[in-house]
Amino acid sequence: MDYSKFVDAVLQNDTEELDSLVPVISSVLMKFLRVRIGADFHDAQDCAQNTLLLTIEKIKEDKLNNPDTIIYYLFTTAKNDYLKMINRNKESNYEDVPDSHKVEGDQLNNLLDEERQSILKKCMMALKPDFRSYISYWFDNPGDEAVVVADHFGISVSNAWTKKHRILKLLKDCCEKKLAL
Amino acid sequence: MMNNTNEHISKQIDAYVKGNLTEKEVMELWADFAKNPSLLEELELEVGIKKLVEENVFEAENISRAKNLQLPRWTWHAAAAAVFVMVALVQLFRIETKTEMSDFIVQSIPADQVETAEGIRAKDMVLATADSILNLGFSALVSGDSKRALEYFNEVIEDYDTEPYGSKAFTNKGIILYNDSDYEASVVAFQSALERVEDSRMITEKAYWYMGNALINLGRLEEGRTAVGYAYSQNGVFRKPAFLLLHKLNIELGVVDYEQTEED
Repeated sequence: MDYSKFVDAVLQNDTEELDSLVPVISSVLMKFLRVRIGADFHDAQDCAQNTLLLTIEKIKEDKLNNPDTIIYYLFTTAKNDYLKMINRNKESNYEDVPDSHKVEGDQLNNLLDEERQSILKKCMMALKPDFRSYISYWFDNPGDEAVVVADHFGISVSNAWTKKHRILKLLKDCCEKKLAL
Repeated sequence: MMNNTNEHISKQIDAYVKGNLTEKEVMELWADFAKNPSLLEELELEVGIKKLVEENVFEAENISRAKNLQLPRWTWHAAAAAVFVMVALVQLFRIETKTEMSDFIVQSIPADQVETAEGIRAKDMVLATADSILNLGFSALVSGDSKRALEYFNEVIEDYDTEPYGSKAFTNKGIILYNDSDYEASVVAFQSALERVEDSRMITEKAYWYMGNALINLGRLEEGRTAVGYAYSQNGVFRKPAFLLLHKLNIELGVVDYEQTEED
């Protein structure tokens, strides 16, 4: 994702390029809000849209053009927009609204959807037993470093990462094939 | 094998899923996601696997399948007999079973396998443009910039697709893709090298050997066996590892090859 292309597209009003870039940025922002702040799907969608509009305005005003700054601005604006939305929804209890909306850690499970999980489960079941056992061990011991996994399976740390990567690739390919059906 | 940047990000994703990142590291990772949204797919996949593992769905599936096995009693006698026969066969053919396929396949292809300009050309001071680009690609690769190296090899493929350059460039492309675990694409690249190569046994052997490894990584064992068999038949530097891999493949596929004893 090249954000300098996004800046150029905004400045040149290149609607074709914008039509291809905006959904990608919007999707990242929505996932950011869903995971990091625990926003629900519709709130995340609204905030991502508002954020993009604000960012496009800033770029047009020539106040934003550095790609790294744009990324930071997008995330900060999305978060602030969400907090404002929460504040508006709780106007009657305004005093109780905290300055920052806190959730219990990142809500990574918000990234998941039922259909993909169901497909992933089938793909996991289709793995060779030793691969399934390996990847299960890897994720069943979240505190463990790769070195512990490597030691458990009697392989080098480098091979432990390679094997994990290979299994992820198999699962990714399997899911993509099943989703395409 | 992945390049250093991808390897670092993959490890950060792993740490994120396990809750081992600081707030600063999490935000840096999200900046990486913003720059490369496809990385979010990797995160989603890992989160999904972790959730399934936490829910113990695989243990539950295994128990459920076991309960559904209502086989007649004689089946167990037949199964026991089959085990005895298998044990006898294993003893007879002295098949080593304490190994995994991954012990025999190439984990990462070293940079010295990359095809460069031919020495004789350099000696004659007639270094063709395609030779120079191949050398630039090699230089980029050993410097750790595999992306740039791939661009150079693609340039040779697009602009100088004649022999010996085409087969060399495709072989090198296949090596980079293999090390990036993009086995599907690496198979295509090695196949393209084989379609072009004219009189280089080294490239032929190399392309078959690594293509075979890529196919096995993809789980396409029969095709992999055929490719490794061709590499073996070239009787070159990969003959020994090809023989060992063929032996393992034959066990995995249930093929008995009586000629295997020649290398024992």
